[in-house]
Amino acid sequence: MATKSTQQKSQSPFQSLWKAYNEGTSDRLKFVDSFLLFLMLSGIVQFVYCVLVTNYPFNAFLAGFSSTVGQFVLTASLRSQVNPDNQNEFKEVSPERAFADFALGSIVLHFFVYNFLG
Amino acid sequence: MVAFSKLFWLAVAFASSVYAKSSTGDSVLVIVEPKKRDDYNIFFDGLREKGYELTFRSPRADSPVLIEDDVPNFSHVVLFASESKSFAKDISPQSLVTLLNQNTNLLIALSTKQTPLTSLAAEFSLTPAPPGTPLISYFPERSDAPNVIPISIPKTHSQIITANTAPVWYSGTSFALGNNPLLVPILSAPAHAFAAEVDGGSADSLVDAAEKGGEGLWAGSQLGVVAGFQARTGARIVWTGGVEMFSDEYAQKEVAKGVPSGNKQFAQDTAAWAFQESQVLRIDKIEHHKLNATAPSEQYTINDQLIYTAYISKFNPDKGTWQPYSGLKDLQLEFTMLDPHVRVALPADKGTPGKYSVQFRAPDRHGVFKFIVDYKRKGLTHLFSSTTVPVVPPRHDGYPRFLSAAWPYYIGAISTSVGFFLFSTIWLAGEIKEVKKGKGHKAE
Repeated sequence: MATKSTQQKSQSPFQSLWKAYNEGTSDRLKFVDSFLLFLMLSGIVQFVYCVLVTNYPFNAFLAGFSSTVGQFVLTASLRSQVNPDNQNEFKEVSPERAFADFALGSIVLHFFVYNFLG
Repeated sequence: MVAFSKLFWLAVAFASSVYAKSSTGDSVLVIVEPKKRDDYNIFFDGLREKGYELTFRSPRADSPVLIEDDVPNFSHVVLFASESKSFAKDISPQSLVTLLNQNTNLLIALSTKQTPLTSLAAEFSLTPAPPGTPLISYFPERSDAPNVIPISIPKTHSQIITANTAPVWYSGTSFALGNNPLLVPILSAPAHAFAAEVDGGSADSLVDAAEKGGEGLWAGSQLGVVAGFQARTGARIVWTGGVEMFSDEYAQKEVAKGVPSGNKQFAQDTAAWAFQESQVLRIDKIEHHKLNATAPSEQYTINDQLIYTAYISKFNPDKGTWQPYSGLKDLQLEFTMLDPHVRVALPADKGTPGKYSVQFRAPDRHGVFKFIVDYKRKGLTHLFSSTTVPVVPPRHDGYPRFLSAAWPYYIGAISTSVGFFLFSTIWLAGEIKEVKKGKGHKAE
């Protein structure tokens, strides 16, 4: 009900979206989202640097960029698995299990990234 | 016994150092009609003085044979029987070509008569004038017959003939020179000479020939009278249109009052080139290594600075030894993988005689490369050297690491890891305290 009233008050759909997000999302998911935002920005910065400045050494670009992309994908899947709204879809996956998968996947990812970086 | 044989070889070495000789051997077979043998004594004595051992054979005699058990019996063969139409069985155009393939040198005289050798000359890209048409010239005015011609030796000619040799007397046939790159013109006919029948040839027939657009007209300085040919084995063959230019008569004949002819000198110089005495080069050794190294590497890396060195010697007939030779000005080195990726001049090193050295950068391309020195010049021995070396990309630790240009990527990767670490820590720490605490924290 509260969301409805705010929707009516505000004019911009973006503002209403932002408000709905702020009020309807748990802090844990917001925390995940902030990490996702950071990864996205980092990836964009590296890509722009690659296009505008230099792609040499290319292996370093691939490592740096794919680490952000890979981490983004892993974090996004963690987010969908721990989201209470999706509980019906991930019945047999507990949040602890989801986090363990996420941590293991990330460690493997970073192992490859550092091998490729230098 | 051992001491004796050692002494013997020492004596042989000493003897060979005293006498000048060819770079390939001393034995010469001269095939000449016995009747005419004494006509060329000055030439033969000149060869003997240089240290050659002459063996004479009549063109129809059965021995000594040219090739025995597939091995040539002589280092050089002189064929002065220019008018013989029939030879012994083993003297055939085929056997002469076999000799050339086995690095035996030949000096062959043709005549105005059609012989088996006339058709062999065509195989060496020489087209002899029709039979019965000697070279004729009415200039300069002289008391000799028109087919006995003084030919002056051009100053800008090949280095085969000694400079400032007096004009030589010549009498015989002539040949047109083909465009075979192995052919080395030694002496050309004078510009005013032509080939025609000496008596029967009328002015009319010449005019007829000229009217046909030059076809059939044998005239001018594009005709050769002495030409060399260096086979790809290094063996040399000299063709001359008239054997008389080697004769005692022409050697003693004066070209002008008080000026002896250059025939003696010319004959010796021609024989010296034919018998691989003069203009003989060889590559003694080659070296290659990286800059700031002394030993050659098993393999080179792309973009390495390489140094290639060749040591070249020239045969010195006066001493009979090989001596370092720095006189080549246009030597080139190629670094080749199918195509030459690098082609650079290989200049003589001023400090060391006979040393040619160059530094160059290996191409930015890996593969199996060859250092190639391929030097083919008319009159000179062909030089060829090919050395195969692999050129590899840098090893995994051969690249520059941690470049400043890549710092954004390094920071990106590191910050992702740090972010992951912080994220995991906060996630695990926050799990116990439940959502409420987190909520309050965020709100603040």
